[in-house]
Amino acid sequence: MKVIIVDDEQKFIKMLAKRLVMRGIETDVVDSGEKAIKKIGLTDYDIAVLDIKMPGISGLELKKELATIAPSLKFLFVTGHGTVNKSEKSSEKNDIYLSKPLDIEILIKKMNEVIKNG
Amino acid sequence: MDKTSNFINTEGIKFFGKVNASISHELKNILAIISETAGFLNDLADLAKKGKGFKISLIEECSDSIAEDIQRGFTTIKQMNQFAHSVDIPIKEIDILEVLQLTVKLSEFLSFSNSVKIKNSDYEVQPVFTCPFLLQNLIYQILIFTYESTGSNGEIHVRLNSPKKDGVDLVFSSPLQLNLKNFSNTKIKETADILGVEFNINQSLHELTIWIPSSCNQIVVLAKELQIDSNGDNGVNDILKNIHNK
Repeated sequence: MKVIIVDDEQKFIKMLAKRLVMRGIETDVVDSGEKAIKKIGLTDYDIAVLDIKMPGISGLELKKELATIAPSLKFLFVTGHGTVNKSEKSSEKNDIYLSKPLDIEILIKKMNEVIKNG
Repeated sequence: MDKTSNFINTEGIKFFGKVNASISHELKNILAIISETAGFLNDLADLAKKGKGFKISLIEECSDSIAEDIQRGFTTIKQMNQFAHSVDIPIKEIDILEVLQLTVKLSEFLSFSNSVKIKNSDYEVQPVFTCPFLLQNLIYQILIFTYESTGSNGEIHVRLNSPKKDGVDLVFSSPLQLNLKNFSNTKIKETADILGVEFNINQSLHELTIWIPSSCNQIVVLAKELQIDSNGDNGVNDILKNIHNK
């Protein structure tokens, strides 16, 4: 599995990436939507883990952009809010949202599910 | 004053909710970093149990990171506490700089990447008799407007000025130029009216100035009303006497 994590909390994504790599998951991190767009144009990933609220482009807007660049890319959302408001959710019912702090085993399980079920 | 009290209550609850949500978001982010760091330490412990080596500096990095984020959490909680206590005494004499500094911090939780520089924080200003909670709300709304105006990664400058009239000027500007054409928010205007605050927009300099009076009639009336509501237990009487004597 090859994953890209997009979140403006740099310390969080670096630590999460270390833990995923220890579990044999190829992981890249970027701290903004703009950087994710550049990166995904150059590298193939199976899944993008996107923070919903980020400076500049939000996670939901980013999903739309990335889906046009990499149509086979799958997505999973994370949020620092306790709950995800209706207005913050994408129109797609199957999208999965995880609340921070994350349980790494649940994150990996959900990533596998999303990749498998697409 | 019913209309004013209703406005303060309604908008105050909204403002309180908004700030609380942004603070809880910040705290969740801090906890998420600590949680991942603790998880990483567990992973290292598992490696050690399996007899696999790793650099001891990794453990030091983790403990430094946890200490740093606990400090970030403490600072956030301190600001949350200061904000929560801003409603204790509804009308009082305040230090504008203190209110400005706290409100800037609170707004930064929401703005992610924008930064605010208070240009002359050593400037001495006279105390202002006002409603601190409502003034925070006003400054907060203006900061959010300026963040939207400059876009992400924008920088906002705020400086304090001595105006000709009795009170304090706060001047908002940006090196990226503020677009002030759409500055006609009803909520901002209503909040400003209650506080007796006046606006001055300088389109050519891309500057927004708010003049905060050191005291004004409607605030004095409101203070008297709120004093009755809280059984006179908020020290307003003494301040009113002082103002009267002046």
